[in-house]
Amino acid sequence: MPVRIVEKDDQDFLNLCTKYLSRAGDPSASAEAWRFPVIDVFRGSPLDPNDPDNEVVFIYKAAPGTTTQVGVLGSFATLYQTVPLKPVRFLGEDTGYFGLSVAVPKGQAHIYQYVVDGKLTLDPINPQRVVLENGKTWSRFFTDSYLQPMVLELWELKLLYRLTEQILPFRVAEAELFLQQFYNYLDRQDKDASKVYRLDESVGEVNAIDKLLAREERHRLSDYHVCLKQIDTVLRKRNSSMEPSELSKEFFNDLYNDMAQDAANPANRIDGWDYGAYANPPFFLYILRRHAVTGAFAHPKYAGNVGAAGWAYLSEKYFEVKDGQRSTLFDWRAALEKPLGTNEDYL
Amino acid sequence: MRTQFDLVIIGSGAGGSPIANRLAKAGKSVLILEKGPLFRPSYQAPGRRSEFRRDELISDGPEKILNIDGVANKGASYYSSHVEPDLNDEPHVYRGPDSADRATIEGYTAQVVGGGTQLYGGVSLRYTPTDLRLKSFNDGRADIPDDVRREARDWPIPYDVLDRYYAEAEDLVGINGTRANQIKPFLTGDHYQPPLSPNPISQYAKAGMEALGKQLGSNIEPYRTPLAVITRDHAPSYRTVPKDPETAKTSYVNRYGDPLGLKSSTWVALLSPIVKEGHDFEIRPNCIVTRLTNDGAKVNRVYYLDPAGTERFVEGKLVVVACSAIESIRLLMLSGAESPDFRQRINGNGLLGHYFLTHCFGGARALVPGRFDKSKALDADYATDCCATDDFLKAQGLWAGGAIYNNTSDQALPLSMFRTFGSTDLDSLWKAFMGGMYPQPDGTTVPMRGEGFVTYLDQEFGRGLSVSFMANQVLQRDNRIELHPTVKDKWGRRVAYVIKTWHPHDKKLMDVFANQCGNVLRLGAGNDPSFFFEGQGGIYSGDTALARMANHILGGARFGTDPNDSVLDTNNRAWNFDNLYVTDGAFMPTSGGGNPTMTIEANSFRVADHLLTRV
Repeated sequence: MPVRIVEKDDQDFLNLCTKYLSRAGDPSASAEAWRFPVIDVFRGSPLDPNDPDNEVVFIYKAAPGTTTQVGVLGSFATLYQTVPLKPVRFLGEDTGYFGLSVAVPKGQAHIYQYVVDGKLTLDPINPQRVVLENGKTWSRFFTDSYLQPMVLELWELKLLYRLTEQILPFRVAEAELFLQQFYNYLDRQDKDASKVYRLDESVGEVNAIDKLLAREERHRLSDYHVCLKQIDTVLRKRNSSMEPSELSKEFFNDLYNDMAQDAANPANRIDGWDYGAYANPPFFLYILRRHAVTGAFAHPKYAGNVGAAGWAYLSEKYFEVKDGQRSTLFDWRAALEKPLGTNEDYL
Repeated sequence: MRTQFDLVIIGSGAGGSPIANRLAKAGKSVLILEKGPLFRPSYQAPGRRSEFRRDELISDGPEKILNIDGVANKGASYYSSHVEPDLNDEPHVYRGPDSADRATIEGYTAQVVGGGTQLYGGVSLRYTPTDLRLKSFNDGRADIPDDVRREARDWPIPYDVLDRYYAEAEDLVGINGTRANQIKPFLTGDHYQPPLSPNPISQYAKAGMEALGKQLGSNIEPYRTPLAVITRDHAPSYRTVPKDPETAKTSYVNRYGDPLGLKSSTWVALLSPIVKEGHDFEIRPNCIVTRLTNDGAKVNRVYYLDPAGTERFVEGKLVVVACSAIESIRLLMLSGAESPDFRQRINGNGLLGHYFLTHCFGGARALVPGRFDKSKALDADYATDCCATDDFLKAQGLWAGGAIYNNTSDQALPLSMFRTFGSTDLDSLWKAFMGGMYPQPDGTTVPMRGEGFVTYLDQEFGRGLSVSFMANQVLQRDNRIELHPTVKDKWGRRVAYVIKTWHPHDKKLMDVFANQCGNVLRLGAGNDPSFFFEGQGGIYSGDTALARMANHILGGARFGTDPNDSVLDTNNRAWNFDNLYVTDGAFMPTSGGGNPTMTIEANSFRVADHLLTRV
């Protein structure tokens, strides 16, 4: 596909990267490396009212004066066509930074490499990498609202759904009814039902957790891999005749309660849990609670709260009736950008 | 690259921007060096889309893990805004109650053009005349501890001098609010834009404040909290308001930059107008100043690292340091560490960094009858001065007072509700929620999941109302900023070390004020059976009490009339320098009875008038 470049001036690039990349010592060192490439709102013109694109801002950093040409090669553009990054200057002086902003549709994942003075180079900042079937490693990014699993396997996702439903309010009868109606409504509105990725009547929080573990909180991915393995083992021990993710709600309720007990007390030990692999099950629940509500109630760009279902749950649940008129007590749409919200001034 | 200017200012927040505004308009050449990026509001941004977003993960983002050697909380989680520094790169370290050092997110305002005025709630109170004369007020009082009286200081300028600069700042920055019922004199009249309609939940705060004034006998009534949000087209900044100005109320307020630029940051109110008008003004974002050098009494060079990390310098006939009190003091100390002469000039009397101040603050919280849409709110609706009068202070045996106001945008949005559940500071976000137990109004505790989560939502969503106080903190010489002996930032520069304690009289004051905040809630709604009082208190207790700063970081380079008792003269000039000024909160000899930004801005306009006589 032809690449769509969004013009940016030098200052724009520096505003996005200086805080994270500028430092003494190793030029590839950084803070918050997950921010690169920057997945940003689209600032080109005109703005499509459906807001289908992100801007993806590539930043390559070299020591000033050491590098002459940087390009990027990736699946977001015609493959084998290198798109040049432009040298970023500060008051006319070389900074060593190179930058490029391209429009990429939301809901996509792409692989890329830099071409630095003719040499293929993985992005030294972005820690997201994939190994292709041919054994070659590429850097990777994904745009907003990406709905396919990325770092968790299907069995892990299924177990996670069962665990998060222990935390979130959506399994209470009233909420289940609401979500059914909400998704029916969405399906009628949107013929492309594949946009609503769900394994269950949830609001997509597990998909958001998968993305969080792929990018912002990669440091927590091993907690999930290790604990989901333990959970799988424990549940199989408790019922060997069914897949753990198919077990009844009661199994998960009991498991949650058992995991929440202080693990330092031997009386609380869970049969089948390998404490050498993960000593503190309550800590996993502690992380999971934050991740579950973040996935359910953060902006849908984070790939949970699908169709703003989490917010819609609250705005339907809490309302007042005045003079026979029903009005919500969580009018979230008023503040937010179209097409998600209704604000006329905030784009 | 231009290197010479009439005026070089370090920092683009409340302390520096008024000066840039005034001097640039007077035809002087002005450069601001700002460590953070330039993020523009939508009317200035490409595609009309600001870098500031209405996104709950932008104010307190994903988890990061503290990884600094030598601090006791290494390995702890923290959650910061996209314009706060990365703590692993640039920590502030404080000394904890066990004398162990910890890094904290408290005390950073924001690293972005506009500084703290981008993220603040916008509460823009004036100080009272008594706030500026606490030595005189306490002279001879037998009911105040000796050391509190002895250390109290009057400001070297009286309220009457500051008044017209308050008026000017209110005009130029763009503040809405009401003047009636404030006990501060407004000698040149009312300079506020009209306030927006209050959130309906604030009716309880209003009723409670009215009742409190009656109960105290002063009959002082509440006023609409002055907020730095424009509600009408604002000529000095060229900002215009949306067709319906009420749409400014979103609750994406405190700790969020405003994508529409209606919140009066110094960038939208004071700096972008002088860019638009074409004055001889330049701002260099993403540039961190590392040291000043001097030639005798003159600061001759300001060294900074450009965005690539390359060291450069500029020269100014006058140099203003205004990068927030902690960082300003750190910069002066780091400059002194490289030059004995600089050190002797800036700190010959040993006072630099001492008498560091924040505020006594805290409040009360309740669940009120009914339920309200808190997602349409600004940061505060009503305020009262009934606990700032001389009579109140004498009746209560307090050395100084403060303002009381209700918070409106707190816990208004889902994630902010969850992460600030049971938490009162930035270092403990999420902890109570992650712990997973909900103490219900009936005294029982339920696991906060499934049905229990619904119970929590039913009880709390749209029902929480908090009332806060912001009051003077006692002066203690040993409350101070130093350079940390071992911890360094990503540039290898020693970081700031915050050492402070709460004086017993601070604790007394916080108890009195927290109780008055509680009274506001009890008097406002307490007769209703569905009213539930959650608690009240000052921030002196708790694990992180010694870190707490409300991001009001003041003192450490106080101004005064006696060179042996102050770091700066009455014009904010460092005593033994001819051209070096410090104009952020560091100059304050006392912390004032309210949020400090309006006073920092007013004082900077005053200093700007002085600077105009020098270039």
